[in-house]
Parts: sequence; structure tokens; C-alpha cells
Amino acid sequence: MNKILILTAAVSLFAILNLGAESAEDIVNRADEAFKGERVFSTSSMTVYKSEEAQPVQKMESYSMEKNGKTYSLSIYLAPRRMKGTANLMIEDDLWVRFSSTGRIRKMSSSAKKNSAGGTDFSYADMGDGGSGLSEKFTPQLLGEETVEGQICFKIELLASDSDAPYEKMIVYITKDTYRYIKIEYFESAANIKSMTFSDYREVNGKDYPFAYTMVNHTKPSRTEVVVDIFEVNSSRVQDRYFTAGYLESIR
Amino acid sequence: MQEYKENMRERILGSWAVWSSQNWGKSFLILLAITIIMGFGISILKMEMTFYSILPNNSNQVRDMKMIMEEFPAASSIIAVVDARDIEDPQEAEEIVKKGIDSIVAKLSEEQFSDYVVRVTGKADMSAFKEHGFMFSKEKEITRSARMYENLNLVPLLTAINNDFEREYAGDEDKLADEEQMAVGMFRGLNEVLVLIEKSAAGESVGQGEIDKALESWLYGDSYILSNDNKMGIAIIQPTFTMEDILVMTPGVNIIERTVKELGHNSGFKAGVTGMVVVGRDEMVTSEEGIVLSSLIAFVAILLIMIFVFRMFSVPFISGIPLVIGIMWTMGMSGFIIHRLNIMTAMYLVALLGLGIDFAIHLLTAFIQERDEGEPFTEAIRKAMVKSGSGIITGGLTSATAFFALVIADTEMIRELGFVAGMGILSELVAMIMFIPPLLGFREYRRNKKGKGEHSLFSKVKINSDAASGIGNVLVKAPVAFSIIMFAIGLFFALQAPGISLETNLMEMEAKGLESILLQDILVDEFGMAPDSLSVISMNPAEVRDLSDKLDDLSSVKMVDSLGPYYVSSEDARSRGALLHRFSGNLLNNPVSDSVDEDMLLEELYRLEMNLIEMGDMAYMGNMNKMLHTIGAVTGFNDDGDKVSESTLDRLFSLLESGESDSESLILFQGEIVPLLKEKLLTMANDEPVTLDVLPESLRDSYISRDGTKYLLNVIPTQNPWEADFRNIYTQQMQTVTDKGTGMLLAGDQLSHMAEVDGVKAAIIAIVVVFFILLIDFRNIKLVIITMITLLFSFLTLFGLMVVLGIKFDFMNIIVVPLLIGIGVDDAVHINHRYLFEGKGKMKIVIGKTGTALMITSLTTIVGFASFIPSVMQAMRSTGIVLSIAMAIAFLFSVLFHPGLLIIVSEKMGLNLKPWGKK
Repeated sequence: MNKILILTAAVSLFAILNLGAESAEDIVNRADEAFKGERVFSTSSMTVYKSEEAQPVQKMESYSMEKNGKTYSLSIYLAPRRMKGTANLMIEDDLWVRFSSTGRIRKMSSSAKKNSAGGTDFSYADMGDGGSGLSEKFTPQLLGEETVEGQICFKIELLASDSDAPYEKMIVYITKDTYRYIKIEYFESAANIKSMTFSDYREVNGKDYPFAYTMVNHTKPSRTEVVVDIFEVNSSRVQDRYFTAGYLESIR
Repeated sequence: MQEYKENMRERILGSWAVWSSQNWGKSFLILLAITIIMGFGISILKMEMTFYSILPNNSNQVRDMKMIMEEFPAASSIIAVVDARDIEDPQEAEEIVKKGIDSIVAKLSEEQFSDYVVRVTGKADMSAFKEHGFMFSKEKEITRSARMYENLNLVPLLTAINNDFEREYAGDEDKLADEEQMAVGMFRGLNEVLVLIEKSAAGESVGQGEIDKALESWLYGDSYILSNDNKMGIAIIQPTFTMEDILVMTPGVNIIERTVKELGHNSGFKAGVTGMVVVGRDEMVTSEEGIVLSSLIAFVAILLIMIFVFRMFSVPFISGIPLVIGIMWTMGMSGFIIHRLNIMTAMYLVALLGLGIDFAIHLLTAFIQERDEGEPFTEAIRKAMVKSGSGIITGGLTSATAFFALVIADTEMIRELGFVAGMGILSELVAMIMFIPPLLGFREYRRNKKGKGEHSLFSKVKINSDAASGIGNVLVKAPVAFSIIMFAIGLFFALQAPGISLETNLMEMEAKGLESILLQDILVDEFGMAPDSLSVISMNPAEVRDLSDKLDDLSSVKMVDSLGPYYVSSEDARSRGALLHRFSGNLLNNPVSDSVDEDMLLEELYRLEMNLIEMGDMAYMGNMNKMLHTIGAVTGFNDDGDKVSESTLDRLFSLLESGESDSESLILFQGEIVPLLKEKLLTMANDEPVTLDVLPESLRDSYISRDGTKYLLNVIPTQNPWEADFRNIYTQQMQTVTDKGTGMLLAGDQLSHMAEVDGVKAAIIAIVVVFFILLIDFRNIKLVIITMITLLFSFLTLFGLMVVLGIKFDFMNIIVVPLLIGIGVDDAVHINHRYLFEGKGKMKIVIGKTGTALMITSLTTIVGFASFIPSVMQAMRSTGIVLSIAMAIAFLFSVLFHPGLLIIVSEKMGLNLKPWGKK
């Protein structure tokens, strides 16, 4: 799931590149390089803080792949105990949930993608809508430079160019020297409603990847911290068969 | 020293000093007559000590908010909070909370409270919903209900409920959270129905009353307003008064609060009250207490300083009586002209103790110095008045004129402050000049009568000027060095000054630890509702519905309270009516089956359990504890997803699986529940068009104005909107839907904004006025510029020091800045006068003669301001801190910077500082 999260966070943006101004496109393109990989496996721990009170840690393993222009992702909860074995499967805009408590699979409505996923500050769209579907919905524009957490960054605005876009605007901050995403601000109804920050960059397969990121919700007293434990690009653990309803049913 | 010729003003002052000290009895009579007249003014003076009373009336948002308070009775509601969190058992706690709410409703509805209470509501009034519930629902909801209640017999009904659950909950945790309260009520109702099915399956008889109660819970939910864990609840009390009814508000809130607390004490729960009028009452009480405390501290401290400095035990009378009389005159004039004192002007009256005493210090110092030099009583008092009177009058008029100039400000608060401040200075000035000579004369008469020699009266009275002379000596030796050091200090702080910020959170200015404020935080945490919401007024109910829908979609909005859901346009009434007509027809043609397929019943109950477990999973992940626990009670699962108790469903499974269920009893039960449910649904499905008149009075009072022309929407935020960052999001998002938002939140912003704008404007006016008064007084532009430079450095240092100390401006302390301009320049003016009087090369004498008096007057002024620091109200405290620091800085720059500048300009550079035409 991490890769997917980051993909969205990073706005994984092939199509944006085709629509936006050149300089902004180049910058976003270079920053996205770190997140490109056909098959990604990761495990992570996610902690939601409600009014500064930590909720049970959610541990999960995530599989994702891009094939024939489609984005596939599968996230399986390892903890907390109640949710162990519960899984989310996304194929492009379609979302299914398998409940471990009952073993049943439910297909979610497409509108559910804007909702909070698993009580975190990420929406299902944040977690999985990293393919061309989202990227086609924004237009980039370089706003200038700004220092964020002591690093000089490009400040790029991504304006929704499609009414289906999950946010009306995003502002991304990408370091000028290393082309790393440092922060993303999400806007809805003219206000910055959420912000995601990235840290603990480590080299994986010759590319920098953030092993920690935090989404802060500005409309509720809530934030979600994610720590990545394992991150493998082009991983052999990712199999085509995982991204089927049949596999969902077999998860224990 | 050259020969000094008294001018007309000085001759008049001298004549009054001589006459009044010799004819003290007649003088007292004159002053008594003036004081009696002022007493009438005091009798008509109102004390309005709330933030609400000083909101700027020229703001649209404030006008709208005041209109809401006046026209929507429920806007002044008091919220009684019943708290049983100390009780561990959730069910016991909930029971106590509900009983507590009922007891509050019963007690406050008694006749004895009718002077203060219009209505008390402990439960949502469901009458309109019961009779027209489906007409208020959108077509999608009607279709959904028609689908769910297509067949009311047990198995088809459970099948439809399961279908509905599976259709509705698909991943929408936000929707679940939004409707948590309603959903919780529904799950409880569902559990009650399951209990009845179990009873009948076990062969027990089920009464109609039980069925009716279970169906009411299922259809209408819980009507009490409870917290997330059901351990707290609230009752809404609509008082007979609003924030405008200052005289009734305090006793009214006190009685309601006392009654609620007594009920809690007697019934084992904690209770408290909050709401806008409660906060208003607390503001009144804490600010009045703060004013009384500050007055006492200031008065006692100032008189002690006077006794210590002058070493005369009669000083408290000689200076204290005119001081108090001056304040009475100020109050009297305020009563005649502006009819009220607000929180700012009342605070100023306390500060006036420290300002007014300065006149007495200057007069008494001069008098004692004359006596020290061997002048007889009458000549000493005449000379004292002549020498000090001019400086006092110029200083007093300078300050008063600067204060009066504020009456051209836009905000009423600043205009009132300008008037009271100006009038206060004038009153004190006149009271001191008129009262001190006759009081000294009376004292002289008493001492003589007791046979004490004239000189012995003052043998112990010495103004020790050594320290001041010492400063004068050093200054004369190194004026440039002093000026450079002070300049450097001023420059350092001036560079910090741009970092100063403005506190806009009114809650940060309230008293700390107030229960009414703490309860607001509890409402946010425990009920997820912020009592300080923004409101919108609309003239059109259709617009209300439209706005409600749009505002409800904003991520910073938890819910919108309005009549929007109850407004049914004629077009909607037609389309909904058609759907309801079909729905009713279907219900009427829905016969009670004479059988129950127990296998199918078991299947649907299994399915129901799975749906509930999955919904519990979602509630768990979404941190919706109330729903999680309610569903857990139905399924027997704990928070971790473990089966920990036998549920109604489990017992039903056992019965049905074992084949030992009583089929006849189940059929009988079906025969009872179907007609009852049908009757309730048919009533709800009334297809007649509805108007807002069908709504209960409590709802109409909340959302329709008294004249019936305006409609109110309360936009409840997801967080405490006083938090600055969230407030920006909340207001920005609201602006995308409507620009008509109002509320204490925005009114507070307006207050801060206008205080900032008007404060700056008033400061500029004050600077200009002071400049021209000084020009008229000194008739020398160079001297005036030097004086203004000293003032400028004092203020830049103040602002810089505030940044360094982390002190913010707020709407209260920012508007006293113009006053500081008038007060802060006084010390430099006195030094100027004495320097001109003594001449070049006499700075040591100037400082020696004036330094002590300046130090004492500054000290008493600082004491007057610092008396606000112990106040529990934070706005008063911050104002006290800022003013005290400001006066200390002004004194230091006047004594350590200004004399050096005078020496440099006059003696080193040789520039003429004397009035035009004099050399």
C-alpha cells in the first residue's frame, strides 16, 4: 500500500506532465521517478492519533502492480487483531473489501473512494488512485520556490481539471537539489484540509524512497503516521493472481 | 535665575489657592454641590461588562449576530450539562443521565422559574416527524423506505433490512459517523425488536406496550441528546432574557445554574451550565470582581506610596478625597452623556486612580518644597499652585485632548473610551486643583487649633531629592553617552517591533478556569459539537434548504442545524406525495401472514449478525465508539472482535436451530407487530403537503425569527472554531458557499480588526493632537520634535519588548495605545517646563526638582495599571502588563534619554528651545 500511497501523494503523474507547464512537468516527473516500479511490495505500520490519543496500530502488507496501463493494489491488515485478514482490493476505480470477521466480500460504491479508509486520514483515493485516472485530473503550475523544513523546494500547484478529481487543488513541495517530495497540501472548498509530509528517505534500487510519512487532517483533530518497514521494487512477491476476488476469498 | 513674571493663568491659580485655603468651608460646599449633581449622573449609569456589549455596531456581521440574539429566542439558550462520567457502569451512568435530564426539565418547568425560563427541552420533540416523517425525507429515502417496508411480516422485513444494510454501509465510514447518533438509536431499537422476537419464539407473551416502545426506538431513535459514551447528556433551557438584558442576565443565570447544580448534587451526577448568556454572565462577574480587586489594590498601594513619600498620615485624605471625587465626577458625566460603562471604560476608571494622583503629587511636592524653603503656609500654597499648576494643567489638557480626540473613531468602544478617559483626566485635574488647597487649609486650621506650630507641621516632611540629583549630575556629565545608550536600546527593540502580533481568539482573553468555557471544550470532546458555530440568516426557506445541503458537504462542517430538512416545496410535496401515496397504498394492501418460515428467519438472522459485525468492524476502524459498543451489545462481541457474551441473536439461533421455538407464539407476535408498525408507518407516510407550522414550537423558536420573516442556520464545525488554524479553514470553506456567515467568532474577529484599525487611527490622531498642543504650549518646533522623538522611542521599545516577551496585542490593550501617547509624554513635558524655567546648565537642578516627582507619579501610574495584573480575566491581565511596561519605559526614556537630548540640542549645538520671540 505504501507505494500506492506515495504514488498518490506524489501524484504519480504521467498524464499531468502532458497537460502542465513544461518546467513543472519536468520537476514532477523527476520526483516521481522514485516511485515508479512495476511490482512493489511493502509492509508498514500506521498509527492514527485522534485528539493526540494513539489508536491501535494498523500493520499491513501491500502489493501493487501496473499492467497493461492499469493500476492494481491489494492491502491486507496484519493488525490490530480485530482487523487481521481484512483486505482492500483496488483495480483502477473499483474497490472491494473483504471482512475477516465474516469472510464476506463487499464491493464499494465509487463514491466511497473519497471516504476515510480504515479510520485513517487517508481516503481510499489517497491510498490507491495513483494511476492515470487521478493524474489526468490535475494541471501543474510552478509557483516558485520556498524553504520547507530547511530545504529549498519547488512549489508546484496542481489544479483539478476534472470535476471527478478528489481534491480541487494540491500544492506539492519538491526539493530543488534531490527532487524529493517533502510536503503535499490538499485543498477542498478553498481551504487546505490535509497535509502530508515525507521523511526518512532511503535508497532503494538506486532511488530515494521515503520510509516515513504523516498525513495531518486540518478539519479534525487527527493525524496518521506511517512507517514503512519493508519496501521492494520489482518484487517477486507480487503475483498477478493476488488481484482477483478469488484470492480475496482465500485470505485467512 | 532671571525674574519670572506670572501670567494670567498662574495668577488665577494663585488666587484660588489662597482664597480656598482660607475659606475651606465655603469651598467644600461648592464642591459638595457639584458632587451631588454628578450623583444623579451616576444613578443613571449602567454597567455593561461583557465582550458582547462592546462589539462594533458598524459591522454587518455584528449587526446580524445581534439581530439573531434579539429575534431568535433559542439563540440565547442555556445548555445544562449532566455528567455521570464518574460512574463506571455504562448502563447505570446512562440511566442516571437520562433521569438527571428529566429532573432538570421537570424542575425548571415549575411556575417559580417562569420569570427566567420560557421552556426546557430534554428530548428532541419527534411529534412532527411521527406525523410527517416521510414527507420531510428526500425521494431517495422514501423509495428506500418503501423498499424496506414493502412487506412487514417478520422474514420479508428482516430480508429487506439486511438488503438495506448491505446497500447503505458500503465503505462510507464518514456517512456512518455523521449519522452515528441516529444509527445508534436505530440499532438499540433493532435490539429491542430482536428481544421481543426471542420472547415470542420462547413461547412468552409479548404486550402491545413493549412492541410499541421497541418500534418507537427503531423508527425514531433515541430522543435524548447524549455524549459519545452516553455518560453525559444535555438539556436546553430557553431563558426569558438575552445578552442585551444585562440586569436580568446575572440573577437569571445564577438561579438556573444553582438549581441545576442542586439537582445534580441530590441525584448523584455533576452538572453545570454553559452557552452564550452564561459566558456573558461570567464575563460580567469576573470583570466586575476584577475591577473591584484592581480598585482596592490600586487605591491602597497608591495611598501607601503617598504616605511613604510624603511621610504625612493626612496625605490619604488630602490626595485620596479629591482622587475619589474626581472618579465620581467622571462617572457622573459618563452617566449624563453616554449612559454606560463598558469593560474598557470601567478598567480605565481604575487606571485613573494612578493618573489622577499625579496631579496631587506635583502640587504637594511643590507645596512641601516651598515650605522647606521657609515660605509661610499661604505663600507656599500660592507659589506651589503657580509653579506646578501650569505644568499640571498643560499636562492634563494634553492628555485629555488626546483622549477626547478618540471620539472621532469609528468604533463605539473607542469613542466611549476617549470620552471617559478625557473626562476622567479633566475631572481629576479640576478636583485636585479645587480640593487640595482647601484640604490643606483645613488641615492647617486643625493643626493650629491643636497648638502645633506652623513649621512643626512639616518638620518631618522632606522630599528626598538626592537620588534624582545624582541622576541629574551623571546626566550633565555624560549626556551624549546616555543618549547613545538609550538610543541603542530603543533601536534594538525597534528592530524587533515588526514581529508583534494580534490575539484574535476571544476565548484567550476570558478568565481562566471558568466552568462555562471548560464545558464548551467538553461539548466539543464528548458530544462532537462546538457551541460556538457560525450562523447564517436567510429570508427564504428554499434557500435555507439549499444552503444546508451545500454547507453540510464542507469537510470542516459537522452538521447544519436549520429548518432546511423540514422545508418541503410545493413541487417536492407533489413528487413526494405521489411516492407516499403509493407507499401507503402498498402498506394498506399488506396483509398479516398467518405463518413464519423459521428456516428463512434463521437465515436472515445469521445474515443480520454478519452485517452487524461488519458494521462493528467499520465503527472500530472509524473510532465510532458509541456505535461500536451499541453493536457490540447486540452481537456480544467486544472491541477486539472477540465473542464475550451471549447475545439475543445467539439465543434466537439456539432456539431456532434446536427446533424448539414456539411457532404459534411467533405467528401471534407477527400478528401484533405488523399492524402496529403499519399504523406508525402510515402516519409517517401522510401525503398531505406540509408547512413549517407543523413543527414544534421549540424548533420554530430556534430557526424562525419572532416576526416569522427570517430563517436561521447554525453551521456546526468539526472542531473548536476558536483554534486559529481551524477557524481559517472553517470560515474559508463557508465563504465558498455564502458570505452571510456571522457569529461571536466573526464578531470577535471584527472586534479585533476594528480595534486594530481604529487603534492605529486613534494613535495617529493622538500623536497629531499631542504635537499641536505641545506646539501651542512650548511655541518651539525643535523642542516639540525632541519631545516627540522621546515618545517615539518609548513606543518602539514597548513594541519590541512585547515581541521579546511574547506578549500579543489584543482588542483591549491595543486601544489603550492612544491613551499611552497622552500619558507617556507627560514626564518629558514636565522636564521641558522646568528646564525652560531653570535655564541652560541647570539640568542637575531640573532633574533634582522634578525627578522625584516624576518617579513617584510614574510609580503611582504603574501601580494603577499593574493592579489589573492579578485579575483572572486574561484580557485585563494583558492590558495591565502592557500598560505597566509602557509607563516604565516612558519614564526611563523621559529621565535618561530626553534630558540628554535637551542638553545636546540646547547647550552643545546651541539651538534655541525657548518660545518664539524669546531669547
